[in-house]
Amino acid sequence: MKLSQILSLVAVWAFLIGIIAFFGAPLLWLVLSSFDPNASPVFRIPPRPSLINYLSLAKPVGTTPPYIWIINSIIIATSSATLTTVLSLLAAFILTRYKFRGQSAMLTMFVIFRLVPPIVIALPIMILFKMWGLVNSMLGVILALSALTLPFTLLMADGYFRSIPASYEEAALIDGCSKLGAFLRITLPLAAPGLATIWLLAFVNSWSAFIIPLMVISDVWKMPASVGLYFFYGQYGRVDYGRLSAFSILFSIPMVVVFFLTQKYLMKGVSGLVSR
Amino acid sequence: MSSESLKERFVSAFEGPLARLLLLPALAFIGIFVVFPIIWNVVLSFTNYSLIGVQAVKWSFIGVRNYYLILTDSTFYSALKNTVLFTIFSALIGQVVLGLALAVVIRMKEPEGVLGAITKGLKYIAITLVFISWIIPEVVAGYAWAAMTDIEGLLPKLLHIHARLYIKYPLQTIIIANIWRGTAFSMILFLAALESIPKYIYEAAEVDGATPAQRFFHVTLPLISSAIIVDFILITIWTFGVFTMPYIMLGPAEGMLWTLYVYGEAIELYMPSMAAAATNILFLIVLALILTYIKLLGRLRRWE
Repeated sequence: MKLSQILSLVAVWAFLIGIIAFFGAPLLWLVLSSFDPNASPVFRIPPRPSLINYLSLAKPVGTTPPYIWIINSIIIATSSATLTTVLSLLAAFILTRYKFRGQSAMLTMFVIFRLVPPIVIALPIMILFKMWGLVNSMLGVILALSALTLPFTLLMADGYFRSIPASYEEAALIDGCSKLGAFLRITLPLAAPGLATIWLLAFVNSWSAFIIPLMVISDVWKMPASVGLYFFYGQYGRVDYGRLSAFSILFSIPMVVVFFLTQKYLMKGVSGLVSR
Repeated sequence: MSSESLKERFVSAFEGPLARLLLLPALAFIGIFVVFPIIWNVVLSFTNYSLIGVQAVKWSFIGVRNYYLILTDSTFYSALKNTVLFTIFSALIGQVVLGLALAVVIRMKEPEGVLGAITKGLKYIAITLVFISWIIPEVVAGYAWAAMTDIEGLLPKLLHIHARLYIKYPLQTIIIANIWRGTAFSMILFLAALESIPKYIYEAAEVDGATPAQRFFHVTLPLISSAIIVDFILITIWTFGVFTMPYIMLGPAEGMLWTLYVYGEAIELYMPSMAAAATNILFLIVLALILTYIKLLGRLRRWE
C-alpha cells in the first residue's frame, strides 16, 4: 500500500467516525436514557438498567396514560392512510389510463401542494374547523392530514401505474373486459406492492404529523402521540426524561420499520425528484 | 342476475366521460382542506378576526391594516432574518456539503482485505444512523436535541459551556440540530446522482492522469450539477417551513423563525388575522421557490 492510500484511508475513517459520533449521539442518548430509571440529559450508561420506564407508560401523565396517545395515533394514521390510498388509486386510474385537457396542469398543481409548508394550511384549518365544528375531533385531524398527504400519494400512484404497461390491460379489453374491469383485474394485482408502499408512506406521514393535530386538538384524551409527547414534555416543570425517552422510542419504532421496509422505493423516489 | 354481471354493469357505468368522476373525491379533498384554507388565509388577513373576545364573533374587514402592522413590526424582520440565516447555514451549507461529502465517501472504492471490510462496516453504520436521524418523528428529534443541548447534556459538556445552549445560542443550536435532521435527504439524492455517472468517464479521466481532486471538480461536480440545484431548491423550501423541531426546542420564540412568529401571533397572542397576513407574505416567497423548482424540472426533462 502506498503512503497516499494509507493517508486517504485514515481520512475516510476519521470522517466516518465523526459522522457516526454526531448522528449517533442523540439516538444513543435516547436509547440509554429509556433504560435509566433516573434518567436526565446527562449522557451516561445507566448504572442500573431496567424496563421500568417502558412499563410505567401505562401510568397516567396528568390524567391520561401515554399509551392512549399511541392508540389515537394508530387510529388517525390507519384511517388517513387507507383513505388516501383508495382516493389515490381511483384518481391514478383516470390519470394514467385516460387523456384529458388540463391533465399535466393538474399534476403540476399536485407538485406545488406537496411542497406547501404545513403551517400555511394549519392556521386557517384551525379557524375553519372552529366554524365547522371539527375542533377537538379526531375525524377533523384525519380529514386534514389526508388532504395534506394526498398530493404526495397521488403523484406516487400516478408514477407507479404509469410504470405498468397498458398492454396487459389492452389484451383484456380485446377479450371483452371493460376498461375499469381490466384495470381492477389486471393492473391492480400487479400494483399491489406499490399500493402497499403508498399506504405505508401515507401512514408514517400522518403518524408523525405534529402541527395540524397540535392546532386542532386540545383534549388530552384525543391527542395523537406526537402532540402527547409534547404535552408530556412541556407541561410540567420537572421533565420525566426516562419515560419520555421510552415513549419516544415506542413512537419511533413504526417509522423506522416502515422506512426500512420501503427503503428501495424511497431511494428511487428521491432520485425521481430530480427528473419528475 | 348473477353478482358477477351486476359488478360488470357497475363497472361499465364508469366508462367514458363518467369515469372522470373517480377523480372527484381526491380533488374535492384537496380543494376543501388545502386550496380553500389558502384562500381563507387571504380573506382572514384583511379582517380583525380574533380568537377571543368580541372580534371572535363579530369581525369585520379592516383593509391592509394587518399587513401594515406586520411590516412595521421589528420582531417580524428579526424572524425573517433568522429564517434566512437558518436556511443558508443549516440547509445550503450544512446539509448540501455534508450530504455531498457523505455520498462521495460512500461511493469510494474500498481497499481489499480486512481494511476494506472495516471501511465497509463504518460506511454501513454511518448511513444507517444518518437515515434514522431523518426518519424518526420530528417531535422525538426535537426532544432528543433539547436534551443534548441542555445544561447537563453532552454538547455543553464537550464545549465547556455551562449554559443551556438552546437559550444562550438558539439560532446556532437549531442550525446544528437541523443539519443532523435533514442531511439524509441530500445524501440519498447525491448517492443516486453519483450512481448515474458512467464508470468509463472516470476511467478516461484516470488514463488522462487527472488527480482525485481534479476528477471531483472537473468530472463529478459538473455531472451532478442538476442534482445539486434541485437539492438546493427542495431543501430551501423545506427548511423555510420547518416548525416542529425548533418549536419543541425553543418554545414560542417569535423572533427566531417565521413559522414560530406565525404560530406565536396566532396562538399566544390570539391574533390569527395578523398571523394570516404574515403567512401570506412568506407564502409568496415559498411559492416563488416552488415555481422555480417546477420550471427547472421542466428544463431538465427537455435536456434529457
